[in-house]
Amino acid sequence: MSDLTPFVVLAVALVGAGCAALLEQVVSGLRVSPQAVLTSVSRTLRQPLRAPQVRDGWLYHLAPGLLLVAAVAALAFVPWAPGFRGIDLSTGAIGFAAALAYVTPAVFMAGWGAGRALTVLGAFRWLALMLAYAMPLAMVITAVAAPAGSLRPSDIVEVQHAVPMALVQPLALALWVPAALAVCFLAPFDVAHCDEELGGGVFSEYRGLDAALVALARRVLLVAVSGMTVVLFFSGWHGPLLPAAVWMVAKTAAVAAGMLWMGGRVPRMEIDRALELAWKVANPLALVAIVWAGLVTLLFYR
Amino acid sequence: MSDLATALVFWPAVAIMLVTGVYVFRTASMARAGLLLLASLGIEGLVFLALASEFLGVLQLLMMSGEMVIMVFFMVMFMPDPGGLMGMDMTHDKRRSASLAVAVGIGLAVVAVLTDWPARVVGRDAPDVRAIGFEVMGRSMLTFLFAAMTILFAMVGGVLLAKHGGRFAQIGAAGKGEA
Repeated sequence: MSDLTPFVVLAVALVGAGCAALLEQVVSGLRVSPQAVLTSVSRTLRQPLRAPQVRDGWLYHLAPGLLLVAAVAALAFVPWAPGFRGIDLSTGAIGFAAALAYVTPAVFMAGWGAGRALTVLGAFRWLALMLAYAMPLAMVITAVAAPAGSLRPSDIVEVQHAVPMALVQPLALALWVPAALAVCFLAPFDVAHCDEELGGGVFSEYRGLDAALVALARRVLLVAVSGMTVVLFFSGWHGPLLPAAVWMVAKTAAVAAGMLWMGGRVPRMEIDRALELAWKVANPLALVAIVWAGLVTLLFYR
Repeated sequence: MSDLATALVFWPAVAIMLVTGVYVFRTASMARAGLLLLASLGIEGLVFLALASEFLGVLQLLMMSGEMVIMVFFMVMFMPDPGGLMGMDMTHDKRRSASLAVAVGIGLAVVAVLTDWPARVVGRDAPDVRAIGFEVMGRSMLTFLFAAMTILFAMVGGVLLAKHGGRFAQIGAAGKGEA
Protein backbone atom coordinates (compact mmCIF):
# COMPACT_ATOMS: atom_id res chain seq x y z
CA MET A 1 0.00 0.00 0.00
CA SER A 2 1.61 3.24 -1.10
CA ASP A 3 1.12 6.73 0.29
CA LEU A 4 -0.92 7.59 -2.78
CA THR A 5 -3.61 5.00 -1.99
CA PRO A 6 -6.20 7.43 -0.52
CA PHE A 7 -5.95 9.65 -3.61
CA VAL A 8 -6.26 6.67 -5.94
CA VAL A 9 -9.40 5.54 -4.10
CA LEU A 10 -10.84 9.07 -4.33
CA ALA A 11 -10.06 9.15 -8.06
CA VAL A 12 -11.73 5.76 -8.55
CA ALA A 13 -14.73 7.09 -6.60
CA LEU A 14 -15.04 10.24 -8.74
CA VAL A 15 -14.54 8.46 -12.07
CA GLY A 16 -16.84 5.64 -10.96
CA ALA A 17 -19.55 8.08 -9.89
CA GLY A 18 -19.32 9.85 -13.26
CA CYS A 19 -19.62 6.56 -15.10
CA ALA A 20 -22.57 5.59 -12.89
CA ALA A 21 -24.30 8.85 -13.84
CA LEU A 22 -23.77 8.08 -17.54
CA LEU A 23 -25.01 4.52 -16.95
CA GLU A 24 -28.19 5.97 -15.44
CA GLN A 25 -28.77 7.87 -18.70
CA VAL A 26 -28.26 4.67 -20.72
CA VAL A 27 -30.60 2.62 -18.56
CA SER A 28 -33.35 5.23 -18.53
CA GLY A 29 -33.19 5.49 -22.33
CA LEU A 30 -31.80 9.01 -22.47
CA ARG A 31 -29.12 10.17 -24.90
CA VAL A 32 -25.70 9.65 -23.27
CA SER A 33 -24.30 13.10 -22.63
CA PRO A 34 -21.54 13.94 -20.15
CA GLN A 35 -22.51 17.56 -20.79
CA ALA A 36 -25.93 16.98 -19.19
CA VAL A 37 -24.29 15.49 -16.08
CA LEU A 38 -21.91 18.44 -15.73
CA THR A 39 -24.72 20.95 -16.29
CA SER A 40 -26.83 19.35 -13.59
CA VAL A 41 -23.87 19.28 -11.18
CA SER A 42 -23.04 22.95 -11.75
CA ARG A 43 -26.72 23.93 -11.48
CA THR A 44 -26.95 22.10 -8.15
CA LEU A 45 -23.75 23.69 -6.87
CA ARG A 46 -25.04 27.19 -7.65
CA GLN A 47 -28.06 26.75 -5.36
CA PRO A 48 -27.74 28.50 -1.99
CA LEU A 49 -27.34 26.19 1.01
CA ARG A 50 -30.22 25.73 3.38
CA ALA A 51 -29.87 25.86 7.15
CA PRO A 52 -32.80 24.27 8.96
CA GLN A 53 -33.87 26.35 11.94
CA VAL A 54 -34.22 23.42 14.33
CA ARG A 55 -32.31 22.38 17.45
CA ASP A 56 -30.45 19.52 15.74
CA GLY A 57 -29.84 21.40 12.49
CA TRP A 58 -26.08 20.83 12.86
CA LEU A 59 -26.63 17.18 11.92
CA TYR A 60 -28.11 18.27 8.58
CA HIS A 61 -24.77 19.49 7.16
CA LEU A 62 -22.80 16.65 8.76
CA ALA A 63 -24.88 13.90 7.13
CA PRO A 64 -23.80 14.27 3.45
CA GLY A 65 -20.14 14.15 4.53
CA LEU A 66 -20.63 10.99 6.59
CA LEU A 67 -22.61 9.42 3.72
CA LEU A 68 -19.74 10.12 1.32
CA VAL A 69 -17.09 8.87 3.76
CA ALA A 70 -19.04 5.63 4.26
CA ALA A 71 -19.43 5.15 0.49
CA VAL A 72 -15.76 5.84 -0.28
CA ALA A 73 -14.62 3.61 2.61
CA ALA A 74 -16.81 0.80 1.25
CA LEU A 75 -15.33 1.34 -2.22
CA ALA A 76 -11.80 1.13 -0.76
CA PHE A 77 -12.40 -2.51 0.23
CA VAL A 78 -13.22 -3.60 -3.35
CA PRO A 79 -10.23 -5.23 -5.12
CA TRP A 80 -10.11 -4.28 -8.83
CA ALA A 81 -7.19 -6.48 -9.85
CA PRO A 82 -4.67 -8.64 -7.97
CA GLY A 83 -3.03 -6.24 -5.51
CA PHE A 84 -5.01 -3.17 -6.63
CA ARG A 85 -7.33 -2.14 -3.79
CA GLY A 86 -7.52 0.71 -1.31
CA ILE A 87 -7.60 -1.13 2.01
CA ASP A 88 -6.26 -4.66 2.38
CA LEU A 89 -7.53 -6.22 5.59
CA SER A 90 -7.73 -9.93 6.35
CA THR A 91 -11.31 -9.10 7.38
CA GLY A 92 -12.05 -6.90 4.35
CA ALA A 93 -15.47 -8.40 3.60
CA ILE A 94 -16.66 -7.51 7.12
CA GLY A 95 -14.91 -4.15 6.75
CA PHE A 96 -17.06 -3.50 3.67
CA ALA A 97 -20.20 -4.24 5.70
CA ALA A 98 -18.87 -2.01 8.51
CA ALA A 99 -18.41 0.88 6.08
CA LEU A 100 -21.93 0.40 4.69
CA ALA A 101 -23.26 0.35 8.26
CA TYR A 102 -22.48 4.09 8.50
CA VAL A 103 -24.90 4.91 5.69
CA THR A 104 -27.72 4.31 8.18
CA PRO A 105 -26.71 6.89 10.83
CA ALA A 106 -25.93 9.34 8.00
CA VAL A 107 -29.43 8.97 6.56
CA PHE A 108 -30.93 9.28 10.03
CA MET A 109 -28.92 12.47 10.66
CA ALA A 110 -30.07 13.87 7.31
CA GLY A 111 -33.75 13.30 8.05
CA TRP A 112 -33.68 14.20 11.73
CA GLY A 113 -31.46 17.25 11.20
CA ALA A 114 -33.73 18.68 8.51
CA GLY A 115 -36.49 18.63 11.12
CA ARG A 116 -39.47 18.31 8.76
CA ALA A 117 -42.20 15.74 9.27
CA LEU A 118 -41.57 13.96 5.96
CA THR A 119 -37.78 13.94 6.32
CA VAL A 120 -38.05 12.44 9.82
CA LEU A 121 -40.57 9.89 8.55
CA GLY A 122 -38.19 8.95 5.73
CA ALA A 123 -35.32 8.63 8.20
CA PHE A 124 -37.28 6.25 10.40
CA ARG A 125 -38.38 4.19 7.41
CA TRP A 126 -34.71 3.89 6.47
CA LEU A 127 -33.70 2.83 10.01
CA ALA A 128 -36.36 0.14 10.07
CA LEU A 129 -35.42 -1.10 6.60
CA MET A 130 -31.69 -1.22 7.28
CA LEU A 131 -32.10 -2.92 10.66
CA ALA A 132 -34.17 -5.57 8.90
CA TYR A 133 -31.74 -6.13 6.01
CA ALA A 134 -28.47 -5.83 7.97
CA MET A 135 -28.52 -9.42 9.21
CA PRO A 136 -29.17 -11.05 5.79
CA LEU A 137 -26.37 -8.88 4.35
CA ALA A 138 -23.87 -9.87 7.06
CA MET A 139 -24.87 -13.55 7.00
CA VAL A 140 -24.59 -13.69 3.20
CA ILE A 141 -21.06 -12.25 3.38
CA THR A 142 -20.16 -14.91 5.95
CA ALA A 143 -21.69 -17.65 3.80
CA VAL A 144 -19.81 -16.54 0.68
CA ALA A 145 -16.54 -16.27 2.60
CA ALA A 146 -16.85 -19.82 4.01
CA PRO A 147 -15.51 -21.71 0.91
CA ALA A 148 -12.52 -19.35 0.75
CA GLY A 149 -11.84 -19.89 4.45
CA SER A 150 -10.97 -16.20 4.55
CA LEU A 151 -12.73 -12.84 4.83
CA ARG A 152 -10.13 -11.17 2.59
CA PRO A 153 -11.92 -10.10 -0.64
CA SER A 154 -8.99 -11.13 -2.87
CA ASP A 155 -9.02 -14.64 -1.34
CA ILE A 156 -12.77 -14.84 -2.01
CA VAL A 157 -12.06 -13.96 -5.67
CA GLU A 158 -9.27 -16.55 -5.92
CA VAL A 159 -11.46 -19.40 -4.66
CA GLN A 160 -13.89 -18.66 -7.55
CA HIS A 161 -11.29 -19.05 -10.32
CA ALA A 162 -13.18 -22.08 -11.70
CA VAL A 163 -16.79 -21.69 -10.57
CA PRO A 164 -18.36 -18.34 -9.60
CA MET A 165 -20.07 -18.30 -6.22
CA ALA A 166 -23.37 -17.30 -7.87
CA LEU A 167 -23.64 -20.89 -9.15
CA VAL A 168 -22.49 -22.52 -5.91
CA GLN A 169 -24.67 -20.43 -3.58
CA PRO A 170 -27.64 -19.12 -5.59
CA LEU A 171 -29.69 -18.65 -2.42
CA ALA A 172 -27.06 -16.30 -1.00
CA LEU A 173 -27.17 -14.28 -4.24
CA ALA A 174 -30.98 -14.16 -4.09
CA LEU A 175 -30.74 -12.73 -0.56
CA TRP A 176 -27.91 -10.34 -1.46
CA VAL A 177 -29.66 -8.64 -4.41
CA PRO A 178 -32.61 -7.14 -2.46
CA ALA A 179 -30.32 -5.99 0.35
CA ALA A 180 -27.95 -4.45 -2.22
CA LEU A 181 -30.82 -2.63 -3.94
CA ALA A 182 -32.02 -1.36 -0.57
CA VAL A 183 -28.63 0.01 0.49
CA CYS A 184 -28.22 1.74 -2.91
CA PHE A 185 -31.53 3.64 -2.43
CA LEU A 186 -33.07 1.84 -5.42
CA ALA A 187 -36.62 0.59 -6.01
CA PRO A 188 -38.42 -1.49 -4.81
CA PHE A 189 -36.90 -0.29 -1.53
CA ASP A 190 -36.71 3.48 -2.14
CA VAL A 191 -39.16 4.04 0.72
CA ALA A 192 -37.03 6.62 2.55
CA HIS A 193 -36.66 9.25 -0.17
CA CYS A 194 -39.40 8.56 -2.72
CA ASP A 195 -40.83 11.61 -4.47
CA GLU A 196 -44.35 10.27 -4.82
CA GLU A 197 -45.05 9.38 -1.17
CA LEU A 198 -42.76 11.65 0.83
CA GLY A 199 -41.91 14.44 -1.60
CA GLY A 200 -38.25 13.47 -1.60
CA GLY A 201 -38.21 12.20 2.01
CA VAL A 202 -34.90 12.36 3.87
CA PHE A 203 -33.07 14.23 1.11
CA SER A 204 -35.85 16.65 0.16
CA GLU A 205 -34.39 19.64 2.01
CA TYR A 206 -30.89 19.44 0.54
CA ARG A 207 -29.70 22.18 -1.82
CA GLY A 208 -26.37 23.25 -3.25
CA LEU A 209 -23.19 21.52 -2.08
CA ASP A 210 -25.12 19.32 0.38
CA ALA A 211 -27.33 18.00 -2.43
CA ALA A 212 -24.32 17.46 -4.69
CA LEU A 213 -22.52 15.47 -1.98
CA VAL A 214 -25.60 13.29 -1.43
CA ALA A 215 -25.89 12.66 -5.19
CA LEU A 216 -22.17 11.84 -5.42
CA ALA A 217 -22.31 9.52 -2.39
CA ARG A 218 -25.24 7.61 -3.88
CA ARG A 219 -23.31 6.98 -7.13
CA VAL A 220 -20.16 5.93 -5.24
CA LEU A 221 -22.33 3.60 -3.15
CA LEU A 222 -23.71 2.03 -6.34
CA VAL A 223 -20.19 1.45 -7.70
CA ALA A 224 -18.95 0.01 -4.37
CA VAL A 225 -21.91 -2.35 -3.94
CA SER A 226 -21.78 -3.49 -7.60
CA GLY A 227 -18.03 -4.06 -7.30
CA MET A 228 -18.42 -6.11 -4.12
CA THR A 229 -21.25 -8.09 -5.75
CA VAL A 230 -18.83 -9.06 -8.53
CA VAL A 231 -16.14 -9.94 -5.97
CA LEU A 232 -18.45 -12.07 -3.85
CA PHE A 233 -20.52 -13.80 -6.54
CA PHE A 234 -19.14 -13.37 -10.08
CA SER A 235 -15.49 -14.40 -9.57
CA GLY A 236 -14.12 -10.85 -9.53
CA TRP A 237 -11.35 -10.20 -12.04
CA HIS A 238 -11.25 -13.79 -13.43
CA GLY A 239 -12.08 -14.13 -17.11
CA PRO A 240 -10.52 -15.35 -20.37
CA LEU A 241 -8.19 -13.32 -22.65
CA LEU A 242 -8.75 -9.78 -21.37
CA PRO A 243 -6.67 -8.32 -18.50
CA ALA A 244 -7.97 -8.73 -14.94
CA ALA A 245 -8.94 -5.10 -14.34
CA VAL A 246 -10.91 -4.94 -17.61
CA TRP A 247 -13.00 -7.95 -16.60
CA MET A 248 -13.60 -6.49 -13.15
CA VAL A 249 -14.72 -3.11 -14.53
CA ALA A 250 -16.91 -4.71 -17.21
CA LYS A 251 -18.62 -7.01 -14.71
CA THR A 252 -19.12 -4.17 -12.24
CA ALA A 253 -20.69 -2.01 -14.96
CA ALA A 254 -22.97 -4.90 -15.92
CA VAL A 255 -24.11 -5.44 -12.31
CA ALA A 256 -24.63 -1.69 -11.78
CA ALA A 257 -26.64 -1.48 -15.01
CA GLY A 258 -28.72 -4.47 -13.91
CA MET A 259 -29.44 -2.89 -10.54
CA LEU A 260 -30.35 0.47 -12.11
CA TRP A 261 -32.52 -1.29 -14.70
CA MET A 262 -34.37 -3.16 -11.96
CA GLY A 263 -34.61 -0.01 -9.84
CA GLY A 264 -36.26 1.80 -12.72
CA ARG A 265 -38.85 -0.87 -13.46
CA VAL A 266 -39.96 -2.55 -10.24
CA PRO A 267 -42.81 -0.86 -8.36
CA ARG A 268 -42.01 0.44 -4.89
CA MET A 269 -42.73 -1.98 -2.08
CA GLU A 270 -44.82 -0.76 0.82
CA ILE A 271 -42.60 -0.34 3.91
CA ASP A 272 -44.61 -2.86 5.97
CA ARG A 273 -44.28 -5.45 3.20
CA ALA A 274 -40.56 -4.77 2.81
CA LEU A 275 -40.04 -5.27 6.56
CA GLU A 276 -42.18 -8.40 6.61
CA LEU A 277 -40.19 -9.82 3.70
CA ALA A 278 -36.95 -9.13 5.56
CA TRP A 279 -37.90 -10.48 8.98
CA LYS A 280 -40.11 -13.40 7.98
CA VAL A 281 -38.43 -14.56 4.75
CA ALA A 282 -34.92 -13.17 4.25
CA ASN A 283 -33.60 -13.64 7.80
CA PRO A 284 -34.66 -17.31 8.14
CA LEU A 285 -33.44 -18.06 4.60
CA ALA A 286 -30.09 -16.46 5.46
CA LEU A 287 -29.66 -19.13 8.15
CA VAL A 288 -30.40 -21.79 5.51
CA ALA A 289 -27.79 -20.15 3.26
CA ILE A 290 -25.21 -20.42 6.06
CA VAL A 291 -25.93 -24.14 6.52
CA TRP A 292 -25.70 -24.64 2.74
CA ALA A 293 -22.38 -22.76 2.69
CA GLY A 294 -21.08 -25.05 5.43
CA LEU A 295 -22.12 -28.19 3.51
CA VAL A 296 -20.62 -26.98 0.23
CA THR A 297 -17.40 -25.98 1.97
CA LEU A 298 -17.00 -29.35 3.68
CA LEU A 299 -17.83 -31.35 0.54
CA PHE A 300 -16.03 -29.44 -2.24
CA TYR A 301 -13.58 -26.90 -0.84
CA ARG A 302 -11.56 -28.98 1.60
CA MET B 1 2.05 1.91 10.93
CA SER B 2 5.04 3.39 12.70
CA ASP B 3 4.92 4.11 16.42
CA LEU B 4 4.69 7.85 15.76
CA ALA B 5 1.77 7.45 13.32
CA THR B 6 0.00 5.17 15.79
CA ALA B 7 0.49 7.72 18.56
CA LEU B 8 -0.77 10.51 16.28
CA VAL B 9 -3.99 8.54 15.68
CA PHE B 10 -4.29 7.10 19.16
CA TRP B 11 -4.19 10.10 21.51
CA PRO B 12 -6.45 12.55 19.58
CA ALA B 13 -8.89 9.70 18.96
CA VAL B 14 -8.95 8.80 22.65
CA ALA B 15 -9.53 12.47 23.49
CA ILE B 16 -12.50 12.68 21.08
CA MET B 17 -13.84 9.40 22.49
CA LEU B 18 -13.79 10.77 26.05
CA VAL B 19 -15.29 14.15 25.12
CA THR B 20 -18.15 12.64 23.09
CA GLY B 21 -18.61 10.06 25.86
CA VAL B 22 -19.06 12.83 28.43
CA TYR B 23 -21.46 14.74 26.16
CA VAL B 24 -23.68 11.65 25.88
CA PHE B 25 -24.79 12.45 29.42
CA ARG B 26 -24.84 16.22 29.05
CA THR B 27 -27.32 16.39 26.20
CA ALA B 28 -31.07 16.31 26.74
CA SER B 29 -32.10 14.33 23.67
CA MET B 30 -31.94 10.57 23.19
CA ALA B 31 -31.35 11.01 19.46
CA ARG B 32 -28.33 13.24 20.15
CA ALA B 33 -27.11 10.93 22.93
CA GLY B 34 -27.28 7.91 20.63
CA LEU B 35 -25.34 9.64 17.87
CA LEU B 36 -22.70 10.93 20.33
CA LEU B 37 -22.32 7.43 21.75
CA LEU B 38 -21.95 6.15 18.18
CA ALA B 39 -19.21 8.73 17.56
CA SER B 40 -17.42 7.67 20.76
CA LEU B 41 -17.62 3.92 20.12
CA GLY B 42 -17.03 4.20 16.36
CA ILE B 43 -13.82 6.12 16.98
CA GLU B 44 -12.87 3.39 19.44
CA GLY B 45 -13.11 1.01 16.46
CA LEU B 46 -10.71 3.26 14.53
CA VAL B 47 -8.35 3.15 17.54
CA PHE B 48 -8.40 -0.66 17.40
CA LEU B 49 -7.53 -0.45 13.68
CA ALA B 50 -4.68 1.97 14.43
CA LEU B 51 -3.36 -0.55 16.97
CA ALA B 52 -3.40 -3.20 14.19
CA SER B 53 -6.21 -5.12 15.89
CA GLU B 54 -8.08 -5.61 12.61
CA PHE B 55 -10.86 -7.95 13.54
CA LEU B 56 -11.78 -6.14 16.77
CA GLY B 57 -11.71 -2.80 14.97
CA VAL B 58 -13.87 -3.83 12.05
CA LEU B 59 -16.30 -5.68 14.30
CA GLN B 60 -16.52 -2.72 16.68
CA LEU B 61 -17.28 -0.35 13.78
CA LEU B 62 -19.91 -2.72 12.37
CA MET B 63 -21.67 -3.66 15.61
CA MET B 64 -21.67 -0.22 17.21
CA SER B 65 -23.29 1.41 14.20
CA GLY B 66 -26.08 -1.15 14.26
CA GLU B 67 -26.53 -1.06 18.02
CA MET B 68 -26.52 2.71 18.39
CA VAL B 69 -28.98 3.05 15.52
CA ILE B 70 -31.24 0.54 17.29
CA MET B 71 -30.86 2.59 20.46
CA VAL B 72 -31.84 5.82 18.70
CA PHE B 73 -34.77 4.03 17.06
CA PHE B 74 -36.13 2.63 20.33
CA MET B 75 -35.38 5.65 22.47
CA VAL B 76 -37.14 8.09 20.16
CA MET B 77 -40.06 5.66 20.25
CA PHE B 78 -40.14 5.49 24.07
CA MET B 79 -39.17 8.96 25.26
CA PRO B 80 -41.80 11.65 25.74
CA ASP B 81 -39.29 14.29 24.58
CA PRO B 82 -37.01 12.71 21.93
CA GLY B 83 -36.03 16.08 20.50
CA GLY B 84 -34.66 17.21 23.86
CA LEU B 85 -36.52 20.53 23.81
CA MET B 86 -37.45 20.48 27.51
CA GLY B 87 -33.98 20.12 29.03
CA MET B 88 -34.31 16.58 30.38
CA ASP B 89 -31.47 15.44 32.66
CA MET B 90 -29.78 12.25 31.42
CA THR B 91 -28.31 11.26 34.80
CA HIS B 92 -30.07 9.57 37.67
CA ASP B 93 -29.03 8.83 41.27
CA LYS B 94 -26.00 11.02 40.64
CA ARG B 95 -23.74 10.48 43.63
CA ARG B 96 -23.98 6.69 43.77
CA SER B 97 -23.72 6.18 40.00
CA ALA B 98 -20.76 8.58 39.76
CA SER B 99 -18.84 6.87 42.59
CA LEU B 100 -19.59 3.42 41.14
CA ALA B 101 -18.39 4.55 37.71
CA VAL B 102 -15.16 6.02 39.11
CA ALA B 103 -14.48 2.86 41.17
CA VAL B 104 -15.04 0.56 38.16
CA GLY B 105 -12.90 2.81 35.95
CA ILE B 106 -10.01 2.80 38.43
CA GLY B 107 -10.33 -0.97 38.87
CA LEU B 108 -10.16 -1.61 35.12
CA ALA B 109 -7.24 0.80 34.72
CA VAL B 110 -5.32 -0.97 37.52
CA VAL B 111 -5.95 -4.37 35.90
CA ALA B 112 -4.82 -3.01 32.51
CA VAL B 113 -1.61 -1.53 33.88
CA LEU B 114 -0.64 -4.26 36.37
CA THR B 115 -1.38 -7.30 34.20
CA ASP B 116 1.74 -8.91 32.78
CA TRP B 117 0.63 -8.90 29.13
CA PRO B 118 2.53 -11.36 26.88
CA ALA B 119 4.72 -9.55 24.36
CA ARG B 120 4.75 -12.24 21.64
CA VAL B 121 2.82 -11.97 18.40
CA VAL B 122 0.27 -14.75 17.99
CA GLY B 123 0.10 -16.21 14.50
CA ARG B 124 -2.79 -17.76 12.63
CA ASP B 125 -2.12 -21.35 13.74
CA ALA B 126 -1.04 -20.64 17.31
CA PRO B 127 -2.58 -22.84 20.04
CA ASP B 128 -3.98 -19.66 21.66
CA VAL B 129 -6.36 -19.12 18.74
CA ARG B 130 -7.64 -22.66 19.07
CA ALA B 131 -8.02 -22.26 22.83
CA ILE B 132 -10.03 -19.04 22.44
CA GLY B 133 -12.25 -20.74 19.86
CA PHE B 134 -13.01 -23.63 22.20
CA GLU B 135 -13.58 -21.25 25.12
CA VAL B 136 -16.04 -19.08 23.15
CA MET B 137 -17.91 -21.95 21.49
CA GLY B 138 -17.77 -24.23 24.54
CA ARG B 139 -17.90 -23.26 28.19
CA SER B 140 -18.78 -19.59 27.61
CA MET B 141 -21.57 -20.33 25.14
CA LEU B 142 -24.24 -20.73 27.83
CA THR B 143 -23.40 -17.27 29.22
CA PHE B 144 -23.63 -15.68 25.78
CA LEU B 145 -26.92 -17.41 24.99
CA PHE B 146 -28.37 -16.37 28.35
CA ALA B 147 -27.35 -12.74 27.77
CA ALA B 148 -28.70 -12.81 24.22
CA MET B 149 -32.08 -14.21 25.28
CA THR B 150 -32.32 -11.65 28.11
CA ILE B 151 -31.71 -8.79 25.68
CA LEU B 152 -34.23 -10.24 23.22
CA PHE B 153 -36.91 -10.53 25.94
CA ALA B 154 -36.17 -6.98 27.07
CA MET B 155 -36.59 -5.71 23.50
CA VAL B 156 -39.83 -7.58 22.91
CA GLY B 157 -41.11 -6.39 26.29
CA GLY B 158 -40.11 -2.84 25.47
CA VAL B 159 -41.96 -2.90 22.17
CA LEU B 160 -45.08 -4.27 23.89
CA LEU B 161 -44.93 -1.46 26.46
CA ALA B 162 -44.54 1.17 23.73
CA LYS B 163 -47.51 -0.08 21.75
CA HIS B 164 -50.76 1.81 21.64
CA GLY B 165 -52.83 0.55 24.54
CA GLY B 166 -49.71 -0.72 26.28
CA ARG B 167 -48.39 1.00 29.38
CA PHE B 168 -50.94 3.77 29.65
CA ALA B 169 -54.03 1.90 28.58
CA GLN B 170 -57.08 2.03 30.78
CA ILE B 171 -58.14 -1.32 32.15
CA GLY B 172 -61.03 -2.62 30.10
CA ALA B 173 -60.13 -0.46 27.12
CA ALA B 174 -57.79 -3.03 25.63
CA GLY B 175 -57.36 -2.81 21.89
CA LYS B 176 -58.47 0.79 21.73
CA GLY B 177 -56.26 2.84 19.47
CA GLU B 178 -54.82 -0.21 17.78
CA ALA B 179 -54.07 0.28 14.12
